[in-house]
Amino acid sequence: MTELSYASINKKKKLKRGILVATVIAVGAVIAFTATQKSSDQTVPTKANTLSISGPWEISSLDPSKQGYILTRMQVIETLLNINSKGLITAGLATEWRSSEDGLTWQLSLRKGVTFHDGLPMDADSVVQSLEFAQSKHGTLNKAEVVSIKALNNEQISIELAKPYAAFASLLTNYSNAILSPASYKQDGAVETLFGSGPYQMSSFAPPHQLTVKKFDNYWGQKPSIEFATYLTGHRAESRILQAKSGEADIVFTLEPSMLGQLDGSNEVQLYSHLVPRTMFIKLNAAHPILDDIQVRKALSMGLNRAAIATNVLGSEGSETSQLMPSSMSQWFVEGIETNGYNLEQARDILADLGWQQGDSGMLERDGTPFKLTMITYADRPELTTVATAIQAQWAKLGVELKVDITNSSMIPAGHKDGSLEMALIARNFGFSGDPLPIMSTDFAHGGGDWGTMNWNNAEVDSAITELVGSQDPERSLELSQQVAATIYNEYPVLPISSYSQHTSVNKRVKNFQFDPFERDYFINQMEIK
Amino acid sequence: MIWELLRKRLYQLVLVAWGVGTLTFVLMRSLPGDMAYRIAASRYGQDNVDSAAAELVRQELNLDQGWLSSYVNWLFELLQFNLGNSLVSGLPVSETVLHQLGHSLLLAGFGIALSICIALPLGTWSAKKGGLVNSIMVWFSTCTRAMPVFVLGLILILLFALEWPLFPVAGFGTWQHLVLPSITLAISLAAVSNRVVYGSVRRVLRSPFYQFSRVKGLSERQTFFRHGMRNMAVPIVAFIGIQLVSVIEGIVMIESLFSWPGVGHGLAHAIFARDIPVIQGCALTMGVLFVVLNGIIDLLCYWIDPRGEQEQ
Amino acid sequence: MIKSLSLNQKLGLTLLLGLFAFAVLVGGFSPYTIDEQNLSIRLITPNSDHWFGTDHFGRDMMTRLASAIVLSFSLGVFCVLTSSILGVTLGVCSAWAGGRVEQSLDVLVNILLALPGLVLVLLLSAIAPGSFVVLYFAISLVQWVEYYRVTRAITRTLMDSPERQVSVMMGFGKWYQFKRHIWPAISSSVFTMAAFGGANAILMMASLGFVAVGIQPPLAELGLMSVELFPFYVEAPWVLMQPLIVVALLVLGFHLLAGASRESLNSTH
Repeated sequence: MTELSYASINKKKKLKRGILVATVIAVGAVIAFTATQKSSDQTVPTKANTLSISGPWEISSLDPSKQGYILTRMQVIETLLNINSKGLITAGLATEWRSSEDGLTWQLSLRKGVTFHDGLPMDADSVVQSLEFAQSKHGTLNKAEVVSIKALNNEQISIELAKPYAAFASLLTNYSNAILSPASYKQDGAVETLFGSGPYQMSSFAPPHQLTVKKFDNYWGQKPSIEFATYLTGHRAESRILQAKSGEADIVFTLEPSMLGQLDGSNEVQLYSHLVPRTMFIKLNAAHPILDDIQVRKALSMGLNRAAIATNVLGSEGSETSQLMPSSMSQWFVEGIETNGYNLEQARDILADLGWQQGDSGMLERDGTPFKLTMITYADRPELTTVATAIQAQWAKLGVELKVDITNSSMIPAGHKDGSLEMALIARNFGFSGDPLPIMSTDFAHGGGDWGTMNWNNAEVDSAITELVGSQDPERSLELSQQVAATIYNEYPVLPISSYSQHTSVNKRVKNFQFDPFERDYFINQMEIK
Repeated sequence: MIWELLRKRLYQLVLVAWGVGTLTFVLMRSLPGDMAYRIAASRYGQDNVDSAAAELVRQELNLDQGWLSSYVNWLFELLQFNLGNSLVSGLPVSETVLHQLGHSLLLAGFGIALSICIALPLGTWSAKKGGLVNSIMVWFSTCTRAMPVFVLGLILILLFALEWPLFPVAGFGTWQHLVLPSITLAISLAAVSNRVVYGSVRRVLRSPFYQFSRVKGLSERQTFFRHGMRNMAVPIVAFIGIQLVSVIEGIVMIESLFSWPGVGHGLAHAIFARDIPVIQGCALTMGVLFVVLNGIIDLLCYWIDPRGEQEQ
Repeated sequence: MIKSLSLNQKLGLTLLLGLFAFAVLVGGFSPYTIDEQNLSIRLITPNSDHWFGTDHFGRDMMTRLASAIVLSFSLGVFCVLTSSILGVTLGVCSAWAGGRVEQSLDVLVNILLALPGLVLVLLLSAIAPGSFVVLYFAISLVQWVEYYRVTRAITRTLMDSPERQVSVMMGFGKWYQFKRHIWPAISSSVFTMAAFGGANAILMMASLGFVAVGIQPPLAELGLMSVELFPFYVEAPWVLMQPLIVVALLVLGFHLLAGASRESLNSTH
């Protein structure tokens, strides 16, 4: 085998040459691979004509029912109705909307002159088709009992409900009910190529990290001036803030409050903080042998130093709250409630009165059962983990042993359904469809729902919410919502911790930045870049 | 000889593909909890997952289907080279794997290439000088090795993206985006591989045959290229091969710091989501890649040292 | 026995013992616990009350580090033991047995090797969520690969060596042959790999922390601590530095102890 001949030397030379050629080809292929990322259109995205946006959310699908929120924000798809910054419903692809006297029929007049990105005009049939597909998928439309969706003529549609649903218009503002061109759908309703109607159309899509959109010249409304916009998922808050700092990303959403100090001295970047209708609260199982006593829940609530959590853990002073809804949801916000409610001494006394005594280990016991609970939370929002750790330490001072289990967000609805859940720390977006009523009615009444109360029954709240769903009288609605909010505050079926602020950095080269507290729209078509 | 080797590898390839796919399938199926909820959470986002969504997913994907029938389905599809669709995004698995694995390979390839460029001169240098130089290298390598990659990456970002804005912080698509992540990877790999180079070079430098060729009058250069190179190369190539294989999926930290769409991050998310087709597809492709890479390394070692002590 | 150690090895041993003594002493005498928070004094610089400063919850860093050293150290050792025993045993068996046994073992091992390590770790952690021991066990399942490869390669060359042949002919048992001929040849490689193995396990925990696996408040573990403290690299770089330095010291200690002079050829990752 070790014998050498001229032939073998020659062979080896050939092999060498072959490997050299292979290397050259491989390097060439790699360069080609990186180069082909850009298409050979007339205009290509460059730093000068592209607005780059960075956020933590992944986008893996173009189906509006899945990650449609990114698509409405990037202004690719639009809904029939919109919400303004005050939470009022405004015209979108529909210009008029009204319900019949009995609240069972909703009639919408469609906007004229709307063109989809594939060039087809929007007509009543395409709207009906989009809504029917939306109904067959997961989305808000199923919250109301929709019987039929019909085109009345080319410009009007009507929707029949089985039961009156006062907040129906707000359901239509949700991204899952966006209107797409008929050419977008496959037979079974799956979205193949996305043709929406917004000021921007799809340019390239690299799931789950990147989405580039290009301006659409035939948009019916305000025409955009920025040629391209791109969205990039940044998993780590650390790298996103550096992207803002270096000017690489023009707009960075969801910055970590604890890191905002890094941008202070920057004259390149403007920082915005806006209150969003999202609340962090503890969901608890009111049928749990320890937690079924309202006094225990009260003591636990008093054992929470919300102000310290808000200031030191979340880094946003004053965001602590002990009621469910943020002040921006004024209909559901009860004025004059103390925001912190921290009183360790009183909390200890309450528990002592109930027979909870300190055991040998310093933890509370009653009749041999330890005061031991498990709280689950999920890692998608990193602040939940840190807040859970803080709560664990605060309740330890009460003598409560809390096990924190960090898992997947789906374990909360799953644990609710099979009844195994004891406590969960969650962050809930009440502005999901403008009006919080759809969420309140499914999650906080009649024994609770996946993301709300659990095994908590209050006849007054149940009847108030039932009435609210059918009510068309604003004053009565206000009275009922206030009543519900106050009862939830008084009976502690959930323990609110803090409200949320969205921290956004905007590069100075971007003009006319506007923030939508409902996070439905980035308003790219109004912006300009230098 | 070479054909024999290739035939054996091909046979191994088929076995590994089946084995890895089956093993992941069995493991995935034995995970606790309701799959439908997991899939729904990844599909619709944490704000929009509820029992209704899970029920919808269950019906759409026919999750109540028995183990055996879904396994047979998978195997049957595999024979037609069809990896199926992702349960979360609905996109074909082959597309997802190609996109993510392609980016990972790109990063790993460049990282390894750069690490060789760093490790070879450093290792050789410290083997030739020995003494103080070598001691410094030991300390330096140890400290670099002990530092998590994300700290290294952060330092590089702070230096080369903020202090001197030469390269972008994060993202992908252009060659500039590749620079910082691959340097980060290269440094952390070179911290180990320079020690291997050192060991290998030193072994050869001290060997009798090397000493003898110096004695017989060859210059240092000639000796090194004639007698040193090949003898040093085998263990180094073998080691770098191992590194390459383990690196492809082991760069999660770099991927998430630099927003690089690699397979490590993709795999983690697919497992959280219980996206079985994607995991099977990924694992299968990586298994195949493992066998292929090993084959290439064997060939390379055989070419460098045809005495063939590596693989009988 | 101490005398037979080289200077470097003594240094390494001192380093490790020092770290361990630090952990035990602090654990015994510290007035704080690892989970005691004081949110009003978060991320303060070292002072007379908190010698190493505090972390982002106002927990005493020194106490946490001490506890992390014990936990990470013992789990690291556990990990090294599991992976090395598994890897060495299978490696030796495979090279020794030959024939059918080697072939079938080879197929099995190859399937296991080809299974991406990350998949294995994440799957195991999903089966027993929140258990550190299971996580480390999963990590050792990934690490045994190196031991296996190296041991098998070396053993194979030894099988045909005249020395062992003589032993066989003289009728010595298998254990003796292993002890006499194989172990001396592989031990230095195994020790070097083991020195890095523990630290690699800690670093791998950190990388799992990056995809939010393994975090279990309020436990302190070096890899996860560095991930937790990473967001504060501007605000409090000295806090982030602490777990990193400890990991570096641990690696250095083991590395020196394993004998920096006896660098093995195919090993150390």
